[in-house]
Amino acid sequence: MAITKDPLNIIICGVGGQGNILASELVGSAAVAAGFLTTIGETYGASQRGGSVMSHVRLSREIQYGPLIPKGEADVIVGFEPLEVLRVFREYGNSDTHVITNSRPNYPLGTLIGETKYPNLSDMLNEIGRVAARVQVVEATELAKQAGSAVSTNILMVGCLAGSGLIPIDISYFKEVLDRRFEGSARELNQKVFALGLEACAGT
Amino acid sequence: MKSLMIGNMAIARGAYEAGVTVAAAYPGTPSTEIVENISRFEGVYAEWSPNEKVALEVGFGASLGGARTLVAMKHVGVNVAADPLYTLSYTGVNGGLVLVSADDPGMHSSQNEQDNRGYGRFAKLLVIEPSDSQEALDFTREAFDLSEQYDTPVMLRVTTRLCHSQSLVQPGEKLDRPLKEYKKNEAKYVMLPGFARLRHLEVEKRMAALREYVEESPLNRIEWGDRNIGIITSGIPYQYVKEVMPEVSALKLGTVNPLPEKLIRSFASQVKKLYVVEELEPVIEEQLKAWGIEVTGKSVLPRTGEYSPELLEELLLGVPAPSGYQLDESIPARPPLLCPGCPHRGVFYVLKRKRLTVTGDIGCYTLGALKPLGAMDTTLCMGASIGAALGLEKARGPESARKTVAVIGDSTFVHSGITPLIDTVYNRGNTTVMILDNGTTAMTGHQDHPATGRTITEEETSRLDLEALARAVGVKRVRKVDPLRIGELEKALDEELSHDGPSVILATRPCALIDKSPKPSLYIDEDKCKGCKICIKLGCTGVYWVQEEKKARINPDLCQGCGLCIDVCKFDAVLERGAN
Repeated sequence: MAITKDPLNIIICGVGGQGNILASELVGSAAVAAGFLTTIGETYGASQRGGSVMSHVRLSREIQYGPLIPKGEADVIVGFEPLEVLRVFREYGNSDTHVITNSRPNYPLGTLIGETKYPNLSDMLNEIGRVAARVQVVEATELAKQAGSAVSTNILMVGCLAGSGLIPIDISYFKEVLDRRFEGSARELNQKVFALGLEACAGT
Repeated sequence: MKSLMIGNMAIARGAYEAGVTVAAAYPGTPSTEIVENISRFEGVYAEWSPNEKVALEVGFGASLGGARTLVAMKHVGVNVAADPLYTLSYTGVNGGLVLVSADDPGMHSSQNEQDNRGYGRFAKLLVIEPSDSQEALDFTREAFDLSEQYDTPVMLRVTTRLCHSQSLVQPGEKLDRPLKEYKKNEAKYVMLPGFARLRHLEVEKRMAALREYVEESPLNRIEWGDRNIGIITSGIPYQYVKEVMPEVSALKLGTVNPLPEKLIRSFASQVKKLYVVEELEPVIEEQLKAWGIEVTGKSVLPRTGEYSPELLEELLLGVPAPSGYQLDESIPARPPLLCPGCPHRGVFYVLKRKRLTVTGDIGCYTLGALKPLGAMDTTLCMGASIGAALGLEKARGPESARKTVAVIGDSTFVHSGITPLIDTVYNRGNTTVMILDNGTTAMTGHQDHPATGRTITEEETSRLDLEALARAVGVKRVRKVDPLRIGELEKALDEELSHDGPSVILATRPCALIDKSPKPSLYIDEDKCKGCKICIKLGCTGVYWVQEEKKARINPDLCQGCGLCIDVCKFDAVLERGAN
């Protein structure tokens, strides 16, 4: 069931370099095509290089909302990396928030060099699950790899969001946007990866 | 049809529609995409200038030549361009000239969060401030008319949150605007004291005219609601006010210098409690107080950082901000870092090992200051590394120069590293300067610059030869090294630091994000790895530590095959896949 709240607040989060900006652009463009007054809030630049990143996507039938989702008011959190989902959920989540997350951790440098501990994956998901309306875990990186490229994990997650039925945007709008945005082999690959994401979350 | 645009794209579109034919900038977050996008429009000359001062001087000439001209820069860039800016206010314009100042409250990607609305007052400029992408387009168009009408450069002040946020924009038609005639007019354009004194009188007359204009300007508007609370605001915070307190009365200012006194007095007199909501400095608030208007602002709202809807809700309405969920798991931080394969990594690794004092500069390589590399002592502003190293030496004696290195990127060096290098030679400094030449302006998204030999539109042009330049200013010892070869780097540093007189080491290798040359696939032989962690100290996300086994491993998904870990490993445990 699509969430009927207005504005509908979606946060897409991950690690700098995972393709957050492209994902928010695709979701935002599909929302515009579906007739929503859409706002995207994000910042970019190398200060985000390898750091935590998030994009706020806001949809409304009535008002052109500002670029920042107030804390505690995310309706959907789409995460490319579980730790980043936890980080964002803490500040922006509530008991009605739906979470769709990639299962694949991306370890921060502190963990890689053995100085900080990366939380246990299932503990993290349980923690979020204790509060959130629903947590859906997708092996997005694996699926994207199977389709040909781990780099397309962002597109796969956009497919998941579209397929989840949580947001009131017809899938045809996403497909149109993908067709417009890409050419040649990239278009083919991204359509394929998007379809895999759709399938992974279809009817859930 | 309406489409989503980042604020920067909307500004570019607005400039195009207003008939801009010349645009200049030096890249700087959050302003970069403005002139980048303008350069893609047909019939517009756009350039990356070596720095903001040059960009504004080019803008001055283009305006003089009759063209509508846009110059864009980040807030600190305006400091670099401040010299021409203050006097440009005296000369005025011919073709409309708009200077975009992209401020960075919250310092997403900057060394300070100065509030450039202050320039409006000091340089005596009309400053206008849009609140969303549509206004960014509309105000930019309007700014060119105002610039010509009042014979003044106009500052369009925006912030990161507007520059990079996307909202719906209805583009308009492009104006068909012929080039204005150029007429020699030394009394207006030659700022000798005798002429400048007369121009200053004109500036004051113009400010008086602008004070009249802002009273009636369509860029300002009152939205009446509950008159118990009145809020004066502008820019992005206007959106937060509307979201959090849609019912209150609001005076939304589009012109933030000069301020419309009568309009503000009238609004203030019709509301019970008056607030000013403005990020950073109390620019509007202090003016109101000077006029004797009772107002609340910075006594409840912060002077630092970026505002947000929940911040206003908490501080103005007393609604406690959501504390967030105190989940059991602790969350390790994820600061930004040098990319895997980044050629800067080798440099900072060596500088740290040699325990040198490193005066740093502005760019991706500033991340070399962070752990585990942690090899930087200072970062002040563009180009400061070289002057700071010379100053250190003059304070502490020539021996200290043997322990000090100035580190600066190629684009930053061209921006403002050349004059301090001349100073070093001229005043008999012994500084060793390392130019980290990765062949691009990486931090802002890989823009070209004079030493790449390509223009903003990627056309081939004369390439500034950094080596020849260093020699030409009088540096006798100039050498090139590969920053990913530790031995080469150490040797070069040892030799240049021990040598009297200035030297320049060009550490040349393309940015890992644009380097398409084939690289080997690396792995760590577990039998050979002794768990010494030396490769881990490189701070590369391509290498990780396995605590249970006390050994390092390479993540093939992230490793770029730069080979730096091969160089540092004393046990030859890092090997190339497929090699024998």
